[in-house]
Amino acid sequence: MTEPLLSIRNLKTHFHTDEGTVRAVDGVSLDVDRGETVCVVGESGSGKTVTAESITRLIPEPPGEIVDGTVRFDGEDVTAMSEKQLEALRGGRIGHIFQNPQGALNPVYTVGWQIREAIQLHDKKAKDKEARERAIDLLDRVGIPDATSRIDDYPHEFSGGMKQRIVIAMALASNPDLLIADEPTTALDVTIQMQILRLLNQVQEEFNTGIVMITHDLGVVAEVADRVVVMYAGKVMEEGDVYEIFENPSHPYTRALLECLPGRGEKMSAIGGSLPSTTSPPDGCRFHPRCPYAVGDCEIGEQPPMYAVDDGDHAVSCVHFEPGADPSVVLGEDGSDAVGGARADGGDETGGDAR
Amino acid sequence: MKWYIARRLAWTVVATFIILSLTFGLMAASPDPQAASYVAQQVQEGGDFEEAQESYERARGLDQPLWERYKNYMIGMVTLDWGWSETRSQPVTEAILEAWPYSVMYATPALIISTVLGVAIGLYSATHRNSLEDYAASAFAFFGISIPDFWFGILMILIFGVWLGWIPIYYHSDVPWFSLQNVQQLIAPTLVVTLSSIASEMRFSRATALEYVNAEFVKTAKAKGADSWRRVTRHIFRPALVPLSTILVGDILNIVLVSSYLVEVVFGIPGLGQLSYKAIIQQDVALVLATVLIPTFIAIVGNLFQDLAYTVLDPRISYGER
Ligand SMILES: Nc1ncnc2c1ncn2[C@@H]1O[C@H](COP(=O)(O)OP(=O)(O)O)[C@@H](O)[C@H]1O
Ligand SMILES: [Mg+2]
Repeated sequence: MTEPLLSIRNLKTHFHTDEGTVRAVDGVSLDVDRGETVCVVGESGSGKTVTAESITRLIPEPPGEIVDGTVRFDGEDVTAMSEKQLEALRGGRIGHIFQNPQGALNPVYTVGWQIREAIQLHDKKAKDKEARERAIDLLDRVGIPDATSRIDDYPHEFSGGMKQRIVIAMALASNPDLLIADEPTTALDVTIQMQILRLLNQVQEEFNTGIVMITHDLGVVAEVADRVVVMYAGKVMEEGDVYEIFENPSHPYTRALLECLPGRGEKMSAIGGSLPSTTSPPDGCRFHPRCPYAVGDCEIGEQPPMYAVDDGDHAVSCVHFEPGADPSVVLGEDGSDAVGGARADGGDETGGDAR
Repeated sequence: MKWYIARRLAWTVVATFIILSLTFGLMAASPDPQAASYVAQQVQEGGDFEEAQESYERARGLDQPLWERYKNYMIGMVTLDWGWSETRSQPVTEAILEAWPYSVMYATPALIISTVLGVAIGLYSATHRNSLEDYAASAFAFFGISIPDFWFGILMILIFGVWLGWIPIYYHSDVPWFSLQNVQQLIAPTLVVTLSSIASEMRFSRATALEYVNAEFVKTAKAKGADSWRRVTRHIFRPALVPLSTILVGDILNIVLVSSYLVEVVFGIPGLGQLSYKAIIQQDVALVLATVLIPTFIAIVGNLFQDLAYTVLDPRISYGER
């Protein structure tokens, strides 16, 4: 088996603040292959953004610090890289797309200037004129109509969806191997959401790009994911093939998320209780204070290890799935498909707060 | 945009007109100290009170109807005939022409140093928040804001002039402008003015840059691979220039309206501040008026330039309907 494109192992990113150490990401592992889309899902505040921004060390340091773990990209350890190497990686082999296209573009420069900057930062030989041609091509490719005349416009002259296309154009400037998209559609209208997702899919098929897609919208997950990683309070709760996660959700938290899908009544916040303190998280499973199936074992020690579910690509961090334990406590008597009907193919409404 | 600039220019003219008219109104309504002293003198010398008053008014054209006087005043203003300074026995414009180079000699370097250094330090503080350097800069800024100009000036004279003998104790205006000696005697006043404005520059540019340090587009720039120098200069400083451009006009005004009086009186520099100060003390109305109008025009013209700078610096500005 070859090494995955991106391989995160036991990543711990903490923030040293006046209120104490915020353990935003506290031991996360995940892999992404070329041409594969991995969705990271979970409530707001569960550490998805910090995970994504730890990959190329975008987090502000200080107060942030990667205290443990490794991030390997194409065989190289990113956590050991110099600032210069990181600058070559960012925007070069790894492109970023952010949640809020309104704020992601610098208001005082034309979009052409900003795309050209992305090109020339990684291709020092590209002259202004050539970079401009390439910028027009990129705008064309991400579906900005009339790119030649719009390249000299300022960001405020574009709509939100168009701005996100421009951000994507910048991320694609150097044909990256990996795209990290942090809730790229959350701030957009539903119809625009679908267009953006389709655009990302096209890019992926053309260049065999790996994609890390952060979202709390399970509709988006159903649309684009190959694999899913469910995060909660800085930890991975469950991960696996997208069909496994939807058809056979195993962690009580995943099941609660799926039950709160739009169209099935309540919103995501309807899971009783709220996220635990990030400075002094509970012992044992981070989810146990809100878990209806919590037993004594859940409240002590560390977060349980990832136990395999069935034989496929599916693992869960829950004591009820320990070999020898009885998963039916969570899954119900028939053993499967308790909430399997929660097909998230609609995606017609975002789950949580769309900030 | 053409219309915006045209409107802006027209407004400048209107504002100037209104201010000049208001000033005339105030002058016409207020008592004339020179008339009082002239009449008093005549009466003492045995002259007739009424006659003395009339002869004074005739000499000044005060016997003409108000409208006539207003017209003459406005024409005088426009043609740079700003009246006669009684105390200096010379035209007001001449007195101003003689004085302004002395103010410019220390104010210009002070303005440049405080703006460049103040903004640079402010930017550094904002991008290195809560570092030792940031705290040191903040401490320095509070020091600069709290210390009165005149006190710092006197202290400089005492230490470097009296005790150490490095600089002259007061300004010699007979020294040639372009000489080492002149530079030497300008150091202290320049430092005093620099200190008084650099502190506010630092605080303001730190606060302004802080709004952009955590801006999402700065993160975008980082994600594109921009190094920290590029992020600070292109992605933080450049958008921050829009609000920062406002501070310059205020700073010039502060020097003209506050620092110049204190510094020029303490150091004995024969610049605009001292000219105005003496005119006020000696109740030389025409001269007071002129020296008060100067900062007013600086404010009007400065605001014009500021608005024009905005059209260049901020592409989002809306010019409104024509
Ligand atoms: N710069 C920071 N300083 C302190 N805490 C932070 C910082 N950035 C993120 N956090 C904390 O990290 C946790 C995870 O945040 P985030 O990754 O943004 O969540 P998500 O993207 O899943 O909504 C939150 O508790 C947040 O308060
Ligand atoms: Mg987030």
